[in-house]
Amino acid sequence: MSLAAPTHAASSDFLTANRLTYCGLLIVALSLPWVGNDYWALIATRAAIYWVLVSGLNLVVGYAGQLAIGYVALLTLGAYTTSVLTAGNVMPPVHPYIALMIAGLTGAFFGVFIGLPALRLRTFYFAMTTLGFATIVTQVALAWQSVTGGGIGITGPEFPAPFNSAWGFYAFCMGIAALCTWMTSNVAHSRHGRALVAIRDVEVAAESCGVYKPHALIKVFIIAGMLAGISGGLFASLQTYITPDAFTFELSVLFFISILIGGRGSIIGPLLGTIILTLLQEIAAPLAAWSNFLYAVLLLVIVLAMPGGIAALIDFKNKKALHSDRNLVLDVDLLGAFKPETKQSQPLDLKGIRLQFGALRAIDGLDFHVKSGEIHGLIGPNGSGKTTTLNVISGFYSPQFGQMVFDGQALPAGLPHLRAGLGIGRTYQTPKIVGEASVLDNVMLGGIASSDTHFIETVLTLPRAIAEEQKTRHDALQALRAVGLDKFASVRADRLQHSELRFLEIARALMGRPKLLMLDEPAAGLSVEEIKKLGELIKGVAKNGTAILLVEHHADFIFSICDYVTVLNLGKPLASDIPSVVRVHKEVVSAYLGA
Amino acid sequence: MKLSRREMLLAAASTVSAASMGLARPALAQTDPIKIGWLAALTGPSSAPAVGFNRGVVFAAEAINAAGGIKGRKIEIITRDTQGDPTKAVNATQEMISQLKVQAVWGPTNSGESLAVTPILARAKMPNLHPCVVDTLIDPVKFPTSYRIAPSNTQWDDAVRNYTLKILKAKKVAVLGDTTGYGVSAANASAAAIKKDGAEVVYLANIDATQPDMNPDMLRAKNAGAEAIVCWSVSTGMLARLFNTRAAMGWDVPFIGHPSMSSGEIGSLIEKPANWEKVYAVGYKSCSYDAAGKLPAHSQELVDRLKGKVDLKDTLLWWVAAGYDAINLFAKAIETSGSTESAAITGYLNSLKKFPGYFGTYTYSETEHNGYQTEEVVMSAASSARDGAFTLAPGYL
Amino acid sequence: MLATIIASGLATGAVYALVGITYNTMYATSRVMSFTAGQVGMLGGVLGSLYMIVWGLPLLLALPLVLASCALIGVITEYVAVRPVLKSLEQHLYVLSTLALSLMFQQVTAIEWGTEPRPFPKLFGLGTGISDEKFWIPVIACILTIIGLEYLYRYTLLGRAFVAVAEDNYAAQALGLPERNLRIASYALAGAIGGLAGFSGGELMLAFFANGAVLNFYGFVPVALGGLGNNKGAVIGGLALGLFQQAANFMVGGIFASVAVFALFIIVLLFVPQGFFGSATARRV
Repeated sequence: MSLAAPTHAASSDFLTANRLTYCGLLIVALSLPWVGNDYWALIATRAAIYWVLVSGLNLVVGYAGQLAIGYVALLTLGAYTTSVLTAGNVMPPVHPYIALMIAGLTGAFFGVFIGLPALRLRTFYFAMTTLGFATIVTQVALAWQSVTGGGIGITGPEFPAPFNSAWGFYAFCMGIAALCTWMTSNVAHSRHGRALVAIRDVEVAAESCGVYKPHALIKVFIIAGMLAGISGGLFASLQTYITPDAFTFELSVLFFISILIGGRGSIIGPLLGTIILTLLQEIAAPLAAWSNFLYAVLLLVIVLAMPGGIAALIDFKNKKALHSDRNLVLDVDLLGAFKPETKQSQPLDLKGIRLQFGALRAIDGLDFHVKSGEIHGLIGPNGSGKTTTLNVISGFYSPQFGQMVFDGQALPAGLPHLRAGLGIGRTYQTPKIVGEASVLDNVMLGGIASSDTHFIETVLTLPRAIAEEQKTRHDALQALRAVGLDKFASVRADRLQHSELRFLEIARALMGRPKLLMLDEPAAGLSVEEIKKLGELIKGVAKNGTAILLVEHHADFIFSICDYVTVLNLGKPLASDIPSVVRVHKEVVSAYLGA
Repeated sequence: MKLSRREMLLAAASTVSAASMGLARPALAQTDPIKIGWLAALTGPSSAPAVGFNRGVVFAAEAINAAGGIKGRKIEIITRDTQGDPTKAVNATQEMISQLKVQAVWGPTNSGESLAVTPILARAKMPNLHPCVVDTLIDPVKFPTSYRIAPSNTQWDDAVRNYTLKILKAKKVAVLGDTTGYGVSAANASAAAIKKDGAEVVYLANIDATQPDMNPDMLRAKNAGAEAIVCWSVSTGMLARLFNTRAAMGWDVPFIGHPSMSSGEIGSLIEKPANWEKVYAVGYKSCSYDAAGKLPAHSQELVDRLKGKVDLKDTLLWWVAAGYDAINLFAKAIETSGSTESAAITGYLNSLKKFPGYFGTYTYSETEHNGYQTEEVVMSAASSARDGAFTLAPGYL
Repeated sequence: MLATIIASGLATGAVYALVGITYNTMYATSRVMSFTAGQVGMLGGVLGSLYMIVWGLPLLLALPLVLASCALIGVITEYVAVRPVLKSLEQHLYVLSTLALSLMFQQVTAIEWGTEPRPFPKLFGLGTGISDEKFWIPVIACILTIIGLEYLYRYTLLGRAFVAVAEDNYAAQALGLPERNLRIASYALAGAIGGLAGFSGGELMLAFFANGAVLNFYGFVPVALGGLGNNKGAVIGGLALGLFQQAANFMVGGIFASVAVFALFIIVLLFVPQGFFGSATARRV
């Protein structure tokens, strides 16, 4: 792994900054009982309990980008579930530990329930649903007096010794908080975490890589709901007594802002955010009346001025200048590792495809096939249906007529998230990459379809999950080396140049060992030198047996590397033949290539 | 006053236990101020009472300090604004106990906060006076250091029910509450007690205070044949809408219930002054005008003292008086027992018999921490406010 | 009884519908749903009370002043919370920025105006019982707004420019339409409509800081029911919601009425995600 050395050094650099912060927090947490009084214990316990909720919510908000602003509802549910069960209002009293677990399950159930709209609808709708749910839960708690005690409330659970003293309970909550940090961090740094970030920033590309949004989201709704429920049980115990008016919208805003202050896509940032906001309430106690206003100002400032939050502030690695030598050095020999597993002589065959948007026929009767190892060019004027064809094959559009056959089997229309698994990879006209993630993480996203470890294995970092993660990382570094980007592996992807992003997208697509690779104008914006390298790369991929479907405007490039060219005009094929024939085809010349 | 042997032992025990927990209080010099914590919901919704209490608190502390303090020691009031949020109240209480090391706590002023805070105060053996009405807040066994300075909800409820059933002689009663914690529980308790007394509860409902239209509930109450409406809500907006709806329906049913029905804000929310007639709110003898328009002499003395210093126009006299009494009771306890120890203060309170406060006459014992006398709770005509006090409702005069 | 439900249902429904139109008007030119839509509604009531009761202005002076003030709030929304995040629309930062601004409006009102509801003046002093003006003023305001908007969109150059921007932002820009100015104008218009919602519903809802949060949710439900960007849908959805809510209030009582509304909201979202009158989701790729 000598080649990987610089990358490794860079990333351990970054880890040190994070590790130092974690160590500092641990020292503070351990020394607090020796220097502080009960008041400190209370505030620290409160911060730990809030973090239990925020750590889960962080996966929903910070990673998956789903704006759940009413999570106090799940805290309420957890608090009441635990209290009611230990008090024995509905059935014989339950042991606090068991009650806490049931609260976690209740939270998980309702976490999914209020998350359902997020699977299909715009972000704002989800925000509204969580907001509405927050109101309902409080009202039900008030109305259901026989169980919840109504407005009079109910005594919170007391955990048995040694967790019933101020510092004992502190230790209990700190333990759970540490566990949550570990578990959510496992998720965040796994393929699941990468999938969430991809859904947040480049949903379309995520689907093409094999991420199925509902599955990915439901998993984090479960875990976030569970942690919120447990946090509620602990909250009830800390408060000793709960009434509906303890669960204010302000608390919801606090959770939410902790994450944004911390920075999206980070664990340590929101952790610091939670601690800061919990302390801020105490320090700014004389300003209590303005606290909501201050939160709002804070939120606005973060969104407008520092969207990266604390995490971006302590991300020293990405403040360093990049390598000045940005020459891409390809290593096409490494491409052999990404050759498709099985080979069919003719992976893709389209027959009579027709796609209409209203009265407009975007594709009007298209037949063609791509052979294994063939570079098939698709050219035509703007609006002739080239990218639309790729989108039909990718499953983003469902054609009204026609058949698609892939790898000897009928390829169903739609279902874009299943394409990667079948062996269809692609790139986009405008590169769709996760700017905030590292280059390496972006490439590893391409390995999702071939992963098969269970979510639980990831949460607990069981051996299989570790092994799979290592393999994906290894493959991704290979892919980066093949396209010449390995020196940027640990750099934030949005720091790369546009041309480098095109190679990055190819590396990501290679991770799926595609039988068919579709490239959408990969040469656009590239220098002459870079185009030459691109050609080299594409040829190298094709040589391993991958069929290539290449959409391009750059005529010279097409004719120099393609084995076969199809020309589209107004959604119909105008000509389809080897380059030398197409080049002199009369209609093609007049319609597209020009005299 | 001599300390009994038992109280001495208690005091010693509490000192030892505090010391053993590593939280020994440094011995206070005799000139250090006496710290009293004041948990007040000074801002946010339902902050009006705390604002009123606060005027009495500040006035009492200034009066005591101007007279040389307690045995030469000044009183220092440490106020924390809880905004009525139980979470903030819990934090502030623990801060007062562990960090600021106060000698006694007055408040909180809302039941939701008080329910969360009282167990913490009990654990720290912190002497505590509060004006919250929820019955379960007072329990000399569970919360041996907490005392109530105002009537309990049952006492309010008794006054309202007695007036409704005995003086107004209503047989069919509608009970309304808002959807807050207090509204729901108070309405249910009230309805149960009315039934127990043999009258019929023909309609019982909780109304969302933000609901713009009160017609549905009022209509149903009317159709059910209600002869009186007992109402438990602190939402002035909702109460005013109820009164306006009653007028619009041309119905002359009386409203009896929560003191908020006499709040000054209702005056500006009702459509015409007549809508506020036949509304009777809980009031107190000490803060009510008799037929001649005069306050009881003792209360008049306070009003005279407050004149020019404390504004009574936009608050209620009983809030100011209760705030004054709370601080005064703590001061008397420390002065008489000569100690700021918890056991000394609670010992004094437990032996209190007919202490003549401005708001009421307080009597506590080891087993009874509800100090307010039920006969001092009366109904007053809601619209009769003048300088924070009300005229007694018809039937008492 | 039924008459009461209908009168109060239509009245509250009309207020919700107007807030729904506020959402839509903001959305049309910017593709942004703003949390300030409900707050301008709240401010319509609070400012109306401030101008008429505290300052003693007559209706003819107070109403234009309220509309102008709320239009200004709309413009502030555009400047502070919308424009800076437009370039990253797909990250949905607008949800956060408008939420922040909305909380700021609400808190300032709570502190400066008070947390108790304050009275809103009788505008004309007409009607009693179920023909009381508080029931029909919102309905008339709603009708006038729809007529006004129809006229604007159909017969004026400005209105047609709005429609053009709403339908295809890029094409409109390519045609040389001043897209940014049109967006500011539409936020001003939205603010005025929201202000009218609060002003016309003032007698019903009083001048109360917490109305903003209520209107944010109940004003959004018609948008979800009727389909995003569809004003007719918002009006029908709003009136239906008002009637449903009042009927539920009447039949099951306050607490369960809001549970019922929420349940309805979730069910509609799950089964008719684009609303009853909305168009299918736009192309994604």
